[in-house]
This record gives sequence, structure tokens and C-alpha cells, in this order.
Amino acid sequence: MKRNLLFIKWIYKVIRNTFKINSIQSVISLSFTAVTIFALVFVSVTLYSVFSKTAERNAASSTQQIIEQVNINLENYLMEMMEVSSHISNNLSIDNLDNLSDILSVTTGIRKDIVTVAVFNADGEIVVCNPKGEYDKNYKISEQKWFQYSLDNIEEYNFVSPHVQRLFVGMRPWVVSLCRGTKVSANNETWVVMVDMNFSVMEQLCKKVSLGKRGYIYVIDQYGDIVYHPQQQIIYVGLKHEDIKFALEKEDGSYYYDLMGERRIVTINTVKYTKWKIIGISYLDEIVENRKSLSTLVVFISIFSLLFVIAASLFVSAKISEPIKKLEREMKKVESGNFNIDIDIDIDAQSEDEVKRLSKAFNMMVKRIQNLMEQIISEQEAKRKSELKALQAQINPHFLYNTLDSIVWMNENKDYAGVTTMVVALSQFFRISISRGKELIPVSDEIEHIKSYLTIQKIRYKNKFTFNIDAQPEALGYKTLKLILQPIVENAIYHGVEQLYDEGIINIRVSVEGETVLFQVIDNGYGIKPDILKNILNRKDGSKSDHGGVGLKNVNERIKLFFGELYGIEIFSTLDVGTTVNIRIPIIK
Amino acid sequence: MKLRVVPYILFIGLLLLMLPIGCIDINNNLSAPEQKKTVKIIAKRKKSEFWDVVRMGAEAAGKEFNVNVEFWGPTNELEIDKQIEMVREVINEKVDALVLAACDYVRLVEPTEEVIAAKIPVIVIDSDLKSDKVKSFIGTDNVGAGYMVGKTLVDTIGKNGNVAVMSFIKGAASADQREEGFFNAIKDYPGINIVTTEYCSSNIDLSESLTYKILNEHGEDLDAIAALNADSTVGVARAIEKRGFAGKIRIVGFDSTPDEIDFLERDVIDSLIIQNPFSMGYLGVKYAVDVMNGKPVPKIVDTGSRVINKDNMYLPENQKLLFPLTDE
Repeated sequence: MKRNLLFIKWIYKVIRNTFKINSIQSVISLSFTAVTIFALVFVSVTLYSVFSKTAERNAASSTQQIIEQVNINLENYLMEMMEVSSHISNNLSIDNLDNLSDILSVTTGIRKDIVTVAVFNADGEIVVCNPKGEYDKNYKISEQKWFQYSLDNIEEYNFVSPHVQRLFVGMRPWVVSLCRGTKVSANNETWVVMVDMNFSVMEQLCKKVSLGKRGYIYVIDQYGDIVYHPQQQIIYVGLKHEDIKFALEKEDGSYYYDLMGERRIVTINTVKYTKWKIIGISYLDEIVENRKSLSTLVVFISIFSLLFVIAASLFVSAKISEPIKKLEREMKKVESGNFNIDIDIDIDAQSEDEVKRLSKAFNMMVKRIQNLMEQIISEQEAKRKSELKALQAQINPHFLYNTLDSIVWMNENKDYAGVTTMVVALSQFFRISISRGKELIPVSDEIEHIKSYLTIQKIRYKNKFTFNIDAQPEALGYKTLKLILQPIVENAIYHGVEQLYDEGIINIRVSVEGETVLFQVIDNGYGIKPDILKNILNRKDGSKSDHGGVGLKNVNERIKLFFGELYGIEIFSTLDVGTTVNIRIPIIK
Repeated sequence: MKLRVVPYILFIGLLLLMLPIGCIDINNNLSAPEQKKTVKIIAKRKKSEFWDVVRMGAEAAGKEFNVNVEFWGPTNELEIDKQIEMVREVINEKVDALVLAACDYVRLVEPTEEVIAAKIPVIVIDSDLKSDKVKSFIGTDNVGAGYMVGKTLVDTIGKNGNVAVMSFIKGAASADQREEGFFNAIKDYPGINIVTTEYCSSNIDLSESLTYKILNEHGEDLDAIAALNADSTVGVARAIEKRGFAGKIRIVGFDSTPDEIDFLERDVIDSLIIQNPFSMGYLGVKYAVDVMNGKPVPKIVDTGSRVINKDNMYLPENQKLLFPLTDE
């Protein structure tokens, strides 16, 4: 298992490095295909070699079996012939030639393969024969070798090599003769019984078996004369040769024999009684031919499985990589600014868990980004709105009318110094209010601004209150959100010190506390009732209240929007003692 | 859901696609019968003992090389026009190669070359054709065989004597060439006197009657007759035997039909020059197959001839030629 994994890894590496392919799909398909090719080649080669070896062995053994079977049949046939011969021998008698003649005629009548049966006396004269014919006087039987042999070897069966039988005029059949000398008890003379058989039965025996398409069987006798050969006449006229010497020399068994670049398997088997040999020739290239068709089959199957595997791997890899590709496409869209995306996880329900999870996470991420962006946008909007509100608060027309009324009134009373102070303060107030549209201004400007405001209000309220501004010098250099003190101070005047019979005092302190700048507006007014105080910073926008506080809330929100939740306003109030408002912002240089 | 079905359909589709192709291939290998090619043989004669052996050889080769063998020929060797017609018909038949034994050395050239022009290869056997477009000539070296007749005749009757020649068809290459060889052999023996040369048209009866005519004209003076094919030989032998000249007028014949062998064994015929008709038929078809398969074939093949007489006819190598082993 581990080795397999290593092997697959190695293939993966090779493919990546050689083809410089990185896409998951290609890598998967190529690895798949490569592994399959290895497997296929391995299986095919194994299958092929095993099969061809088996085929060769089978061919040799089946040839041997076939030939053994032919041998048995041939032995049986020759046995029959010997029985025919011995039957005739047993009935030899001088007295009853008619009986003998009958036996002969029955024998030749029954059997088509027995051409002639004849009995000769010791001088080579025909005693009896069947069928009868005109004896050819040119043929001297007593001079024939086979006749002499049978006379000398009594009771021995002698098969004479194939020859043309020329016993009778006008009859020239090819036969194999079975001759046997027998002592006739009556006159103590040796007679010879001759049974001539044609090749028909032997041909039948050899012909009906097949050794492949081109393989064949032939039979030779102990002298190397051909008894049966499927192309006997072709060999007789010398157009073909059979290596009979080879067959004569070899023992029974199977041999390889190369002829004209062709390998044959020669199987030799000796027939009992006669020393004939049955020789089977089968062609190795027929086995090779089988092998060829096997190899084409193997190649064919391989190609098809390969095609199939390629298709399957393409499909599988596409299946695997498709959700990833889809994810990629969606991500590209996000990259180009489209956040309105929700990857449908259900569509890829059959896709892998990993991809599903990835899709889910991606969806969540996109949603989160979208939320954040929406938040930013709304915050920005709120900021702008509150700023506008702040400005609007500043450019409160009543404030302006009242101030201008005061100026006019002072002018009529010829209080020119007062007019000057008022106008200077007003101009300073608006200059800093506007601040060329900047959101952040130096703390010193903010103080200057509140000073102008207080100056104007003090004159307008006819010195009903006094104020002190106490700012730490190091705080002056830092920056602050503009117009954060004015609404607080306004609130302190209207709701704190205005109704007092005593002189009101408004103290403004600016200090640096660690990483924050702390503004404090302290008045000695009535204070704020606890139930109002509780809600003063949380009131819903728009709900009117006679207690003011809209300015407080607005400042608080602006600070939080700008600097975060850590910063903002704290209010401490005690009835009949006064109110302290703390404003904290971070240090900004 | 739809998407999930698609891969299975594809899978099964592919499998189904593979199945029939595999089957077709196997079936092709196992059972598709090969188109057997046909070799047509147009012999000089459809039926005769000589041509039967040619046919045996041709059929043996047809069996060996797995081709159909069609054997044709006119009813007698004089029907040159009939043979010309037969050769011309080959063009329109489904024949892949032609094996021809030309009845006439010259007149068969034109139709044969038409056949060759129709892309049918032609092999000539037994009797040559005056054309170098044929692929191969397979037959007896007829000049050599004729020479053998002459030599054997001289061996039989000595260097002096009156000799008649029984040839068969003037214009047939085999006849002309045998005559040429025969006269070449005789030419060295001025004592040999050729009294006449007759043509029997490969007709036994005609040969017999022509022999009677020769016997009537020359009678006792005649020492030998040379006969140049099977029919002439049988006719001559019959006449000689019937007139009682057996053994007195010697016969040197040609070919090895059973009749001739019979006459040989009965001492009517002295010697026979035998050819190898089986080889002609066999090699004719074999080379036709080779030509069809694009293999080179020899331009001329001599199938051989030998002298057979009563003493050597039963030698194993001769009896195999004289008594061809038939299939039946």
C-alpha cells in the first residue's frame, strides 16, 4: 500500500516536472492514465507470455496424444490384417482348395481395403488367389525378395513396403503387402500367404486428424519408404521432400525441426508389430499465429481500456476540479468587486466535503466583507450627517440673531468696546466653526472657539455667569474633533446656569491623561435628574426633549464614530450641585 | 439529480461501445471465411490420360494452397479456335490466374496477351507460347526429350535403318520442339533414313490409320517408328501389333498412359520417354498462386523426362512416376 502510494507520488512528480502541468485536472488524468498504462502493460505482458507458453506446451502434448491415438488405430488395423492372414494360414490344406478359395473371396468381398489375397507355393506359383486375373508372366515371384524372406522366416509377419502390385496383367494398384510363410502340414511344404491392402484405411486414419491448419501426419516403414503421406504423389514425383532420415534416426518423442526458416514440431511414434513410424508435423508459427491474434486482442483490449480510463479520468478529474474551478471563478468576481455572490453548495452536493467546506467558508467570508463594507458605508453616512447637524447647530439662526441684536443694542448704548469684542468673538467663532471644512483641528483652536462662544454668551446673558478655561499646555498641540465642546457648553448654559440666581460658573479643563485627551466642562447649575441622566446619551434620534441633550448625544456619537467605542462622553451630575461632562478622545498629533 | 445520472450514462455508453467492437474483432478472426481464389487451367484437351494426371497435380496444389482449381480444355487438341475462345472468356470470368497449355505456339498469343492485359497472370505449361509476357513456362524440355527419342531409337536399332516419325500437330510448340530435338539426334547418324513424318492430330485412330498407310508404303523395309506423344504412340503400337510387326518394327514412344505401359510390358513398344505431367499441373497452380501473392517465379521450369523400358519400369523411382497414386 505504502509502496503503491510512493509509486503514485513518483508518477505524479514525474508528470508535473516533465509536462509542466499544474492544473489539478491534468495531473489527475495524467496520473490515472500513467498508472493504468503501467498496470495494463504489466498484465498484458504477463498474460501473453503465460498464454503463449501454455499454448506451445499444449500444442506439443496434444500432437503427441493425437499421434498416439492414430498409432493405436493403426495398430488395431494391422492387427486385423494379421488376423486375416493367420485365418487363411490356419485353413491351408491341399485337399480342400475350394474351401480356401471361398475364404479368400469372402475376405476380399467384405473388405474394400484388401485388394488381393493370394497363396503361393514354395516355387512361387499361385495356389489360390482372389480376385482372379491373368497372371503376368513377366513377374517372377520366386525371385522377389519378400517371397524369399517369408520362406526363410516361417510364421513371421512381413509387411512389404508400398509398391505397385503387378501380379495380374492390366492391374497395377499401389499396395502394402502382408506376407507370411506357413508350413503346410500335409506335404511339409512352405506356402506363402500374401494379403495386399491399399492405403485407403490408413489414409482415413491419418487424414481425419488435424494438427493445426497446416500440420499433417505421415507414416513410413522401417526402410524409410512412405506408407502414407497426404502429398504422397507430390513427394513421389520429387517436388517435395520429407526428412525421413531424421525421423528414422530419432527415438519416439517430440523434436524441434527447422526447415527453410520455419520451425516445426516433429513428433515421432513407432507402431508395434511393424516398426513403422508415425510422424506428426505441426507448425510452430501456427501457435505463433494464435499468439499473434492473442497479441492483437490484448493490444485491442488495452487500447480500449486505455481510452476508457482516459475518458473516465478526464471525467473524474473534471468532477473533482469543477467545483474548485467554480470557486475560482466566483473568487475572481469578488476580486473584481462583485460581492453579491452566494456559491450554491447544494448544486455541488456530490462534490467533495473539502470543496463544500471551502465554499461555505468562502460564502461566509464574502458575507462578512459585505457586512463590514455596509457598516463602513453607513458609518460614514452617519458621520457626515452628525457633522452636518453639528454645523447646523452652530449656525443656529437664533444664536446669530440674538448675537447681532446684542451688537445693535450695545452700539445704541455707545458701548463700542463691547461691540468690538462681540464682533471679534463672532468672527472667531465662525472662522473656527468652518475651519476650511477640516474635521480635525488643534485643541488650541477648539479652546479659542469655545472662548469666543462663551464671550458672546456672557455678554448676551449680561454676565450671569463666569467661565474659566484651564488647558494644559501639552494638550494644546494635539488635534481634536472640532466643535465638540460648544454643544456641551451650550447645554451647560441653557440647562445649568441660566436659571441660577447665583452667579454661574463654567469651568473648562483640558488635560492629557495617558493616551487620551480629557476635556471637562464643569458647571455649578441645577444638575440633571438621575432618570434623565440615565437616558440622555441613549435617546432615540429625533425625539424632542425640552431638556436639550441632543447636542450631548450628537457629540458622543461623533466621537464614537470617529475614534471608536473606547472614547466619548461621560456625565456626572448631582442635583443642586452641578454637572461635570468628561470628553475623552485619543491623542492625535 | 440530472447531473448525477450523466456520468453513469457515459460510463455504460462507453462499455456498450467497447462490447460490439470486441465481438466483431473476435468473430472476424474466427469465422469470416476467406475468399478463395480461383485458378483456371485451360489444357490442350479436357480429357485424356495424360491430362488427367496434369489435373491430379493441379488439384493437389489447389488443396495445398487453398485455391479453387477449374480444369478446362477443348475436346481435342485441334480445336485451336475453341481454345482461343476459352482463353478470351477468362477475362469476363472471376478468375484470378490462368494456367494454359497452348494448342498453337503462335495463334494463342493474341488472346493470352489480352488476358494478361486484363491483369490476370498467365502461367504456361506443357506447350510453350510465343510470348514473353507470360510469367513462367513449366514443362518438359521438349527439344531435349525429342533428342532422347532419337538417341533411344539409335540405341535400339543401331546406326542404320529406315525410320518413320509419328508426330501430332504441326504448329504446337511441343510437337515442333520434339521434332527438332529428334532430328538433331538423328542428324549425326547418316545411316538412319527418315522415310516420312506424319501428324495424327493427337488422335489415336488417325495415328493407327496413318501407321497402316506407312506400313503399306514401306512395309518390311521399316525398322522403327518414333512416336512423339501418347496418342501417336498408342495408335502406332496398335497398328504394329495388329499387323504382326511387334518386335520387328521397333517403337520408341512418348508418355506413360496405361495403354502404353501395357504395350511396353507386352514388348510391342521398346521404350517410352516419359514426362512428368503431375509436376506440370502442380507447379502450374503453385506458381500461379505465387504470382498472385507477389512472389517471384522462375521463367522456365523443366519438369524432366526419362527413358523407361521393360527392365527399369518397376524400379521404385520409376513406378512412382508411371503409376500415379490417385486419391480414390
